[in-house]
Amino acid sequence: MTIPGFILRNAFRNKRRLILTVLSVALSLFLFTTMQTALHELTQPPTSEAAALRIVVRNKVSLGNVLPAKYGPRLERLPGVRHVMKLTWFGGIYKDRANFFPQFAVDAPQLFPVFSEAEIAPKEVQDFVKEKNACVVGIKTMERFGWKIGDRITLQGTIWPCDPELIIRGVYRKGIDMTNLFFHHEYFDELMGNRGWVGTYWICAENAGGIPDLVERIDRTFANSDAETKTETERAFQLSFVSMFGNIKVLIGSISTVIVFTMLLVAASTMSMAIRERSREIAILKTIGFDGWQIFGLILAESFGLAAAGGLIGCFGAAILFRHLDIYSLSHGVLLKLEVTPSILAAGLTVAAFLGIVSCLVPAYSSIQTSVVVGLKELD
Amino acid sequence: MPDPIVQIRDLTKLYSHGELEVTALDHVTLAIRENEFVALMGPSGSGKSTLLHIIAGLDRPTSGDCLVRGINVGDLSETALAEWRNNHIGFVFQTFNLIPVLTAYENVELPLLLTKLSARERSEHVIAALALVGLSDRVRHLPRQLSGGQEQRVAIARALVTDPTLVVADEPTGNLDAHSAQEVLRLLQLLNQQAGKTIILVTHDPKAAAFAQRTIHLEKGQLLNGTGQPL
Repeated sequence: MTIPGFILRNAFRNKRRLILTVLSVALSLFLFTTMQTALHELTQPPTSEAAALRIVVRNKVSLGNVLPAKYGPRLERLPGVRHVMKLTWFGGIYKDRANFFPQFAVDAPQLFPVFSEAEIAPKEVQDFVKEKNACVVGIKTMERFGWKIGDRITLQGTIWPCDPELIIRGVYRKGIDMTNLFFHHEYFDELMGNRGWVGTYWICAENAGGIPDLVERIDRTFANSDAETKTETERAFQLSFVSMFGNIKVLIGSISTVIVFTMLLVAASTMSMAIRERSREIAILKTIGFDGWQIFGLILAESFGLAAAGGLIGCFGAAILFRHLDIYSLSHGVLLKLEVTPSILAAGLTVAAFLGIVSCLVPAYSSIQTSVVVGLKELD
Repeated sequence: MPDPIVQIRDLTKLYSHGELEVTALDHVTLAIRENEFVALMGPSGSGKSTLLHIIAGLDRPTSGDCLVRGINVGDLSETALAEWRNNHIGFVFQTFNLIPVLTAYENVELPLLLTKLSARERSEHVIAALALVGLSDRVRHLPRQLSGGQEQRVAIARALVTDPTLVVADEPTGNLDAHSAQEVLRLLQLLNQQAGKTIILVTHDPKAAAFAQRTIHLEKGQLLNGTGQPL
């Protein structure tokens, strides 16, 4: 027998309690990992070289306010601008409200130059651009509804009073959100009676270094107009979009803290019970020569081991599960995927280690402070 | 005559319970020689277990000295005292106190985990100790699979395995039937007579004390002389 073997024997002496404790830690760490991963997905959108060049121009008042179509040519003339694309949120219904997926009206010829990381066959891009009521759809939405190229679909407007009738001419894979549908802004304008409204302008800059200056120049250009602009990078725009749901970081942070604190109480209670049941044996160990710190080490190692086992099951369980689940369908399109990053795994395992160490500190310290004689008297 | 292995000089132990102070040992002076088998007798509350605990380094005197092989046990730090207990004391309890999740072999091996012995050396010591108490055929048994007498013999093997200076036994037959009690006492006597172990036995059973070479009587924390008067 070795000291680690002795620790294992102690841990396994009450198998039911061991399993329940490990599972409760595992479940808590699974929830913690899920929360942190969801927060990461919401606040850290995937970035690419192309995404780093994109900036978004919107109405300064709010995202719900539109911009004039006449801003487009003025933006194109600004130095440092490579492409300008109109992008308006359509938000229509396909057959039923439950069939939600994002739909946008865009400048068709500019779509793939601006979102150059999207993978699509050149022939499909050509077909999309040349036909006014054509659309391109992300692979996930295609698979979700069993669509194929050439299918005709009708979207029922909810924000805008029009029902575009579209023909699918292309499917893109990878690069950008694979749930989106894009159709011609020109067709949208026609259906809306050419009112000259645009939701946002998406700009592809010449180079990333010039973006701060470009952002400032755009907003200065439209300052003191009827529709002042707020220009920001794509990443900043997505973060501000997420913040419309409320302060997600604080919300998820608070829930994670409650989970960890509750688990700390449960683990501390379990360790207290386990140590109290063993107060007689701790006195015996002291009698045969174990000193207080050695006993403290035995208790700490056991507690740490239980929490670490739960942490490994919870964190890696979440990572494996999310890799095999269709997160997009389960989250009804809110989340594209849940990827447990190494930093989230490290955070989860650190929390588990913290639980293991802190939960045993008080009962372990109390047990080493108890004199051998008092411990021996307790057993008679 | 061999030198005293235990020397107790003017030792007093007081326990405080709030404002109430109880004298457990009252100016006790005592010497125990090497290879001696001593029985400490007295009624409940006489201070015999307290004296045993102080000799074994489990408790500290309020005043006076307790020297074992010339070392004043009360002067050692907690960590040094734990190491000293591991090297010098083999303790046998009334209630056996084996670790229930460990086999007889592992229970006996437990004190050796604190030493620098290799696994092979530990194994040799454990097998020898279990053979000495006649339990070579029970090495893989858990405590619950042993009788009370066998459990106590495993506890004695655990007390002996480090080859301690002193074996101290606190009412070791208190939880045993008459037959098992006789076996355990004979074993302690054998260890004293053949292995030369110094043994201090706490008991209030005169039959058990009869196995010892010398009986020391305690009452109200004081040693009694042959006429039953405090020394």
